[in-house]
Amino acid sequence: MTRTAATLLLFCAMMWVACSQQRQPCLDPVTASLIVSSVHFKSDTSKIPVDSSLPSAVFYPVTVLPNDTNLYSSSSAFILSLSPDTGFCQWLFSPTRNGALDTISFYYQRRLEFLSNACGFIYFYNLDSVRTTHKAIDSADILNATVNNNVNTKHVQIFIHPNY
Amino acid sequence: MSIQSMCKYLFILTISVWVMCSSMPVFAQAQDAADTVSDGKVKKPDSAGHQLCLGVDLVRLGSNYYYTDRKGYEFQADYYLKNEFYLAAEGGWGNSTVNYTDLKYTSSNSFIQLGFNKSILARDSWKDWDMMMMGLRAGFAPISRSSVSYIVMDSVWGNTPTETLPGKNYNAFWLELTGGMRVEIFKGLYAGWNLRGKFIMNGKSFRELAPLYIAGFGRGDKGANFIFNVYLSYGIRWERKSVNRLKS
Repeated sequence: MTRTAATLLLFCAMMWVACSQQRQPCLDPVTASLIVSSVHFKSDTSKIPVDSSLPSAVFYPVTVLPNDTNLYSSSSAFILSLSPDTGFCQWLFSPTRNGALDTISFYYQRRLEFLSNACGFIYFYNLDSVRTTHKAIDSADILNATVNNNVNTKHVQIFIHPNY
Repeated sequence: MSIQSMCKYLFILTISVWVMCSSMPVFAQAQDAADTVSDGKVKKPDSAGHQLCLGVDLVRLGSNYYYTDRKGYEFQADYYLKNEFYLAAEGGWGNSTVNYTDLKYTSSNSFIQLGFNKSILARDSWKDWDMMMMGLRAGFAPISRSSVSYIVMDSVWGNTPTETLPGKNYNAFWLELTGGMRVEIFKGLYAGWNLRGKFIMNGKSFRELAPLYIAGFGRGDKGANFIFNVYLSYGIRWERKSVNRLKS
């Protein structure tokens, strides 16, 4: 009984140590996602906006870094990010790949948040205002000002001109 | 730790304590039955004597060789009171070093835990000190954390420049439910294991940055930790005064 117990103890201890890891994998989203939805009114008299499924929308971050363009096909919800370095950033937007570009400017407050030792720090944001140019965009509204790593919340709604 | 998680852990803790408390009378009854003379009215005095047991956690010692980013030393002591109740204490110290690309700091702490164990096995004789036990603890650790340098990584906008948070001292409090066994492998020398569920009580203190490792508690960024210890202990025994032992 004693020998069996001692062997079992040693085995359990070895298993416990062997199963441990150095840095734990980060399982949380490490970017605060800004969800932008595109909507339009079906007619001039319509009061309720409907989703605009844009055939080939493009978003470009206005940054000095060489970045990929975010291309979307037949979508009405777009996942963008905000600059963690300042309280302001801009994205260029067109509802079609070669269309005229609108500038969407986001103004916000940053809030440092510790996720975990595995994921490190992240900035969450509180949107103050959104401004746009008006080539394809009619206007923009803030639906939810709190931008965090929850990817299920729509934050900004852009109203597309009816002729798009 | 969110309120939801806190409620979950408190619920688990409450249920565990309730199960433990409700099981104690059953084991106590079994023990009483063994300690009661034939007429069922007179209870003999506890003849097991005194024992002070001192031990060291081998898992923690082994982990120190495996982990490069944390070190810890844990010791335990318990003293037999009577009726299979033991006063129990654990103590130790440790430190951790976080040296990732985006996060760098060190932390160190000592800790102490106080509580009791209840053996849930009836003895074969007064010489039998093997035990299977359950216990409760309250733990406390003063933690010292260095200044933190961090970078927020961002693939679109670029990483932020390195920023720093000042160093900080704070305390951790936790409650623990433990269970395990201990067997005497030689005269006075014990080997045993414990499984411990630890539940932080002041998780909000770690909101700014939870230490990677809190000696005695485990991972600082988790509200609950389940820890496995293997102890090698030595028991010092002496007899109670005025106890006439029955032949076992």
